[in-house]
Amino acid sequence: MSEDAHKESPYFLIWGVLFALTVAEVFYAFMELPQFWLAFGLIVMAVWKALLVALYYMHLRFEPRRLWVLAASPLPLAVILVVVVIQEF
Amino acid sequence: MSTSEAAVQAHLHEHGGHDHEEPFLRKYIFCTDHKMIARQFLFMSLFFLLVGGLLAAMMRWQLGFPSQPMPGAGGFPDTMAPGGIVLPEFYNSLVTMHGTIMIFFAIMPLLVGLFGNLLIPLQIGAPDMAFPRLNMASFWIAVPAGLLMLSSFFVEGGAAGAGWTSYAPLSASGEWTGVYLGQQLWLVSLIVLGFSSLAGAVNYITTIISMRAPGMTWFRLPLSTWALFITAILVLLAIPILTGALIMLLFDQTIGTGFFRPEVGGEPILWQHLFWFFGHPEVYILILPAMGITSDVLANRARKPIFGYHAMVLAIIAIAFLGWIVWGHHMFQSGMNPLLGTSFMISTMAIAVPSAIKTFNWLGTLWHGDIHLDVPMLHALSFVSMFIIGGLSGIFMANTPVDMYIHDTYFIVAHIHYVLFGGSLFAIFAGITFWFPKMFGRMMHEGVGKVHFVLTFILYNIVFFPMHNLGLRGMMRRLYDPTQYEYLQPLQPMNEFISIAAFGLVTVQFLFAGNFVWSLFRGRTAGPNPWKSNTLEWSVPSPPPHGNFDGMPVVYRGPYEYSHPDAAEDYWPQNQPPPPEVGPGPEVALSPAPEGVGP
Amino acid sequence: MSTAAAGRLPMPGMKVYNLKLGMWIFLLSEVMFFTGLIGSYIILRFAHPEHFAAPGVVLNVPLTAFNTFVLICSSVTMVKAFAAVEQGDQKGLQRWLLATIALGTFFVGVQAVEYSVLSSEGFVPMAELYHAVGRGAVHAEGAAEAAVVGGPLYGATFYAMTGFHGAHVSIGVLCLLYVYWRARKGKYSAASLGGVEIMGLYWHFVDLVWILLFTIVYLI
Repeated sequence: MSEDAHKESPYFLIWGVLFALTVAEVFYAFMELPQFWLAFGLIVMAVWKALLVALYYMHLRFEPRRLWVLAASPLPLAVILVVVVIQEF
Repeated sequence: MSTSEAAVQAHLHEHGGHDHEEPFLRKYIFCTDHKMIARQFLFMSLFFLLVGGLLAAMMRWQLGFPSQPMPGAGGFPDTMAPGGIVLPEFYNSLVTMHGTIMIFFAIMPLLVGLFGNLLIPLQIGAPDMAFPRLNMASFWIAVPAGLLMLSSFFVEGGAAGAGWTSYAPLSASGEWTGVYLGQQLWLVSLIVLGFSSLAGAVNYITTIISMRAPGMTWFRLPLSTWALFITAILVLLAIPILTGALIMLLFDQTIGTGFFRPEVGGEPILWQHLFWFFGHPEVYILILPAMGITSDVLANRARKPIFGYHAMVLAIIAIAFLGWIVWGHHMFQSGMNPLLGTSFMISTMAIAVPSAIKTFNWLGTLWHGDIHLDVPMLHALSFVSMFIIGGLSGIFMANTPVDMYIHDTYFIVAHIHYVLFGGSLFAIFAGITFWFPKMFGRMMHEGVGKVHFVLTFILYNIVFFPMHNLGLRGMMRRLYDPTQYEYLQPLQPMNEFISIAAFGLVTVQFLFAGNFVWSLFRGRTAGPNPWKSNTLEWSVPSPPPHGNFDGMPVVYRGPYEYSHPDAAEDYWPQNQPPPPEVGPGPEVALSPAPEGVGP
Repeated sequence: MSTAAAGRLPMPGMKVYNLKLGMWIFLLSEVMFFTGLIGSYIILRFAHPEHFAAPGVVLNVPLTAFNTFVLICSSVTMVKAFAAVEQGDQKGLQRWLLATIALGTFFVGVQAVEYSVLSSEGFVPMAELYHAVGRGAVHAEGAAEAAVVGGPLYGATFYAMTGFHGAHVSIGVLCLLYVYWRARKGKYSAASLGGVEIMGLYWHFVDLVWILLFTIVYLI
């Protein structure tokens, strides 16, 4: 965190992108599209926003690789839980 | 680098240097020293172990002598056992609370709370945990959770009676069990306990990652620390799932949401999935530290290096990872997509591979060893043998068709007790006797310890082995009165026999309690290293002072260098500098931990 | 760095100090907690689509989109507070922290208003009381006879997810007040900013969860 690289982080630029994506999401959600493409597009945008927050605001971009691994470790478990249990219904 | 270091220095300064005498309250009650917190967990969980054992004894009375008054139990209130005769509702509470208390308030705090706190900083060469105050909070959150759980016996409707798994819809509404407040207290207690476990897990993981002494590389960690590390990861990721599910169930109970209530469209199966998604990692939370303790004790008492250290570590990791994808084997009976059932069956059987690796490595460690049959060793050996029995019956039940037949019978009761009592609890006895001198500065009595071991081992097998048979003959688990069923009546002599042995089993535990208390005050004074062990905790006085190490220990080798040809004696402490002509010089050994291995 | 601490802090491999590492590890368990809640929602919605409604029918999307924007703004102010303390700017630190507190409080306030409106429209977590008719019908003539939209699982999962998120924001605001109080006393500097940084990590995590919740709950 003491690396100087992220001091120049474009915090306000990221903020602009997050704002634009939120607006885009709201308009996209009410478009006349098949359910699958609606969900797909919205999830892509949501994940994109989440990644921006994690990488820039939580400074993950500037952290050692091991912290990335640590931070990502519960995600496979989350996917396993949802994907497996949904088979039941 | 500079800012983080300064932050760390400030942090260190804030917590370091408590060498002066502390007032009573800070020293014994609100203490941030990891060794004192370990002892607090020890006393708390031994109390709950006693409570859980007495609950089991009452259940065994009802099963062995159905609806006869318990001797000397006339004082029970009429809502529980009028005249000493256990009521069906009270029996449900007994079953539920025995399971819950033993798992969450006895075995788990003993393995994770006691040994985690005691061993992690000492074995890695750290002065204390990374967050000592959080550590203290971890204990003091566990105490009210335990009190809430116990208090549920005394509220209207009695304690929770839906089993330790609290399957919905039985648990989702009080109208099915007649237990309203008791079930809610059960839920709240476990939610509160979750915070305690979480605080502990954050602390353990941070401490092991970042506070290891110079030279203490990942592959020089003793196996008990390795096991506790992996266990802490399981706790960290599994407990929140339980907390979430408990909260939803609590809402169903109190404000009438419909998550798990089928009558308003909810999904009871979802509760089972969430519960076992937590529950199966929980099973490994209860066995992995026991495996680590056993590994340490076996290598030490056989005076040999552990056989296949790297394989042991990788097996722990493999068990923990596979533990996340097998939870469905607890639910074969609930009905399941066959494709899913088959995958769960195969992944469950795959766990037998790392488990077998561990078992064979323990046997390899014993092979041609200089075996010292003292109390910790006896308990560790019985861990290995009982774990084999419990593990093998586990493989039977991984088979979906077999499991359909035996799952809700006494076969599963036998299985869980072979791994939890025969496995975890024997390892806990091994660990307590092994590290008792480090905790209290005195040895436990060897003779009484051996008598306790022999009686416990025999009676334990008499109690639980016949339960396999009862289960195969169709006796259901959680059954209130076996004589209600004609086909179970011929089994009644067996039930009676088991019950009498169970009373004996509970009674001989008082030998352990007596030995424990006697040794606290009268035991033989122990030196720093009574077992001639290599690991760092034995290089400091017993009990270690505040701050543990006098200066920073430096680690030169792995933890299991017993009977090494280059060593002067049959053990070679991790922090003993090598003689100049053999081995790498201290410059080499001092180099920081290699990259490569990380969580 | 003194020799006593050499090799121990910061640890050799991670190069992350304990406080921050501990916060990251804590956040992993938070991920699993929200996985339990959000996962249950996804599973229940998949199993019982008839219990749920299309976006905008029951929930007020424009209001929440605005609230999302408020929370995103609070993330910027938080990260600016951290940037300020990194440069030793005490005044900046306090100002940006105060802005974050204000935005966080505003978010919770809007959520409280949203809850009270929704529950007055019959959108409640209690299964037996659920009678949401949708925003179109609630003010129209003959609202009493309008068909109920969605089912009890909608209310229960909505309030569980957004409620626990709101609780996280509220706890975050309380912690921010504590950090602000310490900042006022000059406890933070470029050399000692652990408290601000882990506060930021928590706050951004809560923001991140809301970004996902907004999409999953309100828009899909």
